[in-house]
Amino acid sequence: MLRYALRNLLQNKIRLVISVGGVALALTLILALDAILTGVEGQLSAYIDHSGADVFVSQSGVRNLHMVSSSLPGSVVGKVQAVPGVASVTPIMYVTDTMDVGPNQDRYVVYVIGLPQGSTMGGPWRIAQGVSIPTDGQTVIDRSLAEKYGLGIGDKVNILGQKLTIAGLSNGTANLLNSVAFISLNDFARLRGNMSMGNATSTSPTMPIISFVLVKVKPGVSPEAVATRIEQEVTGVTAQSRGAFATQERKIVKDMVTDLLTTMNLVGFLVGLAVMALTVYIATLSRRVEYGILKAVGARNRYLYGTVLALTITFLLSVIIPNLGSNLALQISSASLLKVGIVSLVIATLSALLPIRQIAGLDPALVFKGV
Amino acid sequence: MTKNTTLQVTQVTKRYGSGATEVQAIRDVSLEVTSGEVVLIMGPSGSGKTTLLQMMGALLKPTEGTIQLNGEMLSTLTEKHLPTIRLHQIGFIFQSFNLLSALTVLDNIALVAELVGAKRREARKKAASILTDLGLRERMHFLPEQLSGGEKQRVAIARALVNDPALILADEPTANLDSKIGHEIMRLLQGIAKEQGRSVVIVSHDQRIQDIADRVLWLEDGAFKEMATMATDPVCRMKVEREKAVTTEWRGQSYSFCSRGCRNEFLEDPQQFLNAVPQ
Repeated sequence: MLRYALRNLLQNKIRLVISVGGVALALTLILALDAILTGVEGQLSAYIDHSGADVFVSQSGVRNLHMVSSSLPGSVVGKVQAVPGVASVTPIMYVTDTMDVGPNQDRYVVYVIGLPQGSTMGGPWRIAQGVSIPTDGQTVIDRSLAEKYGLGIGDKVNILGQKLTIAGLSNGTANLLNSVAFISLNDFARLRGNMSMGNATSTSPTMPIISFVLVKVKPGVSPEAVATRIEQEVTGVTAQSRGAFATQERKIVKDMVTDLLTTMNLVGFLVGLAVMALTVYIATLSRRVEYGILKAVGARNRYLYGTVLALTITFLLSVIIPNLGSNLALQISSASLLKVGIVSLVIATLSALLPIRQIAGLDPALVFKGV
Repeated sequence: MTKNTTLQVTQVTKRYGSGATEVQAIRDVSLEVTSGEVVLIMGPSGSGKTTLLQMMGALLKPTEGTIQLNGEMLSTLTEKHLPTIRLHQIGFIFQSFNLLSALTVLDNIALVAELVGAKRREARKKAASILTDLGLRERMHFLPEQLSGGEKQRVAIARALVNDPALILADEPTANLDSKIGHEIMRLLQGIAKEQGRSVVIVSHDQRIQDIADRVLWLEDGAFKEMATMATDPVCRMKVEREKAVTTEWRGQSYSFCSRGCRNEFLEDPQQFLNAVPQ
């Protein structure tokens, strides 16, 4: 059965190559989308993961960074600092905005972070060039973004409507969706219309409105426990451990792209199904006489159905096996492979249904008429 | 039914359609084939030869009458059981050879043996043995497309033999072969019948193979006619019923024709046709 199916498949090599290419493309689309999501997923919370904070304190109800606004009165900083278990705090300001870059003033989505001078948390975690914490009139942007637009130290970019000088280039602060740009807390407050901060620092925050308070807990103290305590002792805030905050961030972004991914996956599935169904159907139809011969000599329908299924699965394996190597190189998750495997089996089964129907209705007596 | 009867066809009728569109392909046909016998069924196109062959081959059920193969009543078996009968008791040889083009000669034969239930190794061994007997040892690993017509038909015969059938049914087995090869194929079938005790039923237009058969039956309009009542048109060589034929006398001898056209052609130059077919 398998031998016959295999030989049938291999007899028309050009058709096989074209079809394998089509299905491989469709399955690769599904895999690639998953791979992109998996890859981006880690980057989505890169800022949170590398912030150095153990606990994020935000306006009550705010549980992530992306597409949200959090406003806390400056007085919260001192209250959080006073909670038992808290080692240090850093207030930051945050907004999602666009940065105008390059000669054409291309707009690029950025998380703008306002940092107080001397802050030990919330700043860039790997500096490629220049300063780490920007002073007034300065900014630190992602190196890859700067390279893309031919920018370097000393060049200017437009952030929050103001031209700021690039004083530092950071690594690992850009992902598929956006990038992080760091400016001084004073500039942030001024550009957002807040009153002048004077010389706000991480230890003497005088600003009236901030976005988040980043908290470092004392050694041996549980961040979750401190977060709970902050929520109990400081009114109007939500406090989450870094892990919980990062999970929320990834979830919200994933939810936003799920519909797109589902649609693209469906497209991949349908393309794969169409190509494979057509291939198996043509392969079966072109052998209609031979299936009739087998029926005439006494082969039972289940043998013939088995042959079609074997043909379909052999075809499927010829698509999947050559792809396995590249999949491993791409470090695609086992969940993705499982998903593609299940999708492939569904495609194979559906593809085999039509030819099986054809064979079921085939009259072996037609063999005498040359079918 | 005699002791060594393999196939018994009793008063079989096959009708297609109904009412005004009804066609009677076979009318009240009876036939008995014994083991080791070669029966040749001849007849014009549309006479019902293939329909009869299909019924004998458990591929088609008669509307009326019965067909028994080795004592088993084919006409009453359900569709579910017919493939088993075909697989174990009947070998088919087709006009167009009908080999599986993607498989080698050996695999074509072994596949049927595997369907019968043999293990792959055993099936290939048996297939190789039969192919060797039929002079195809050197062609075992060829694809069908690499074979000549005669070789293809021998492979088809090997396939028909691999399941040790009691009955071999051949549909126009010489139609796509030249006369020498056609005759060789017929001799082969005759040998198989005599040496292995299998019954062979052949339907064919080919008049050249009559001498190989133990019995020649003439099927016309779905019914067997007595060969004695048949004459051969000396022009087109068709068998025609003497009573219904167009006839003419020449030098004191009566000749029968299928049509006036053949008779007129004959009368233009009778001598050129006379040596061809004995009346």
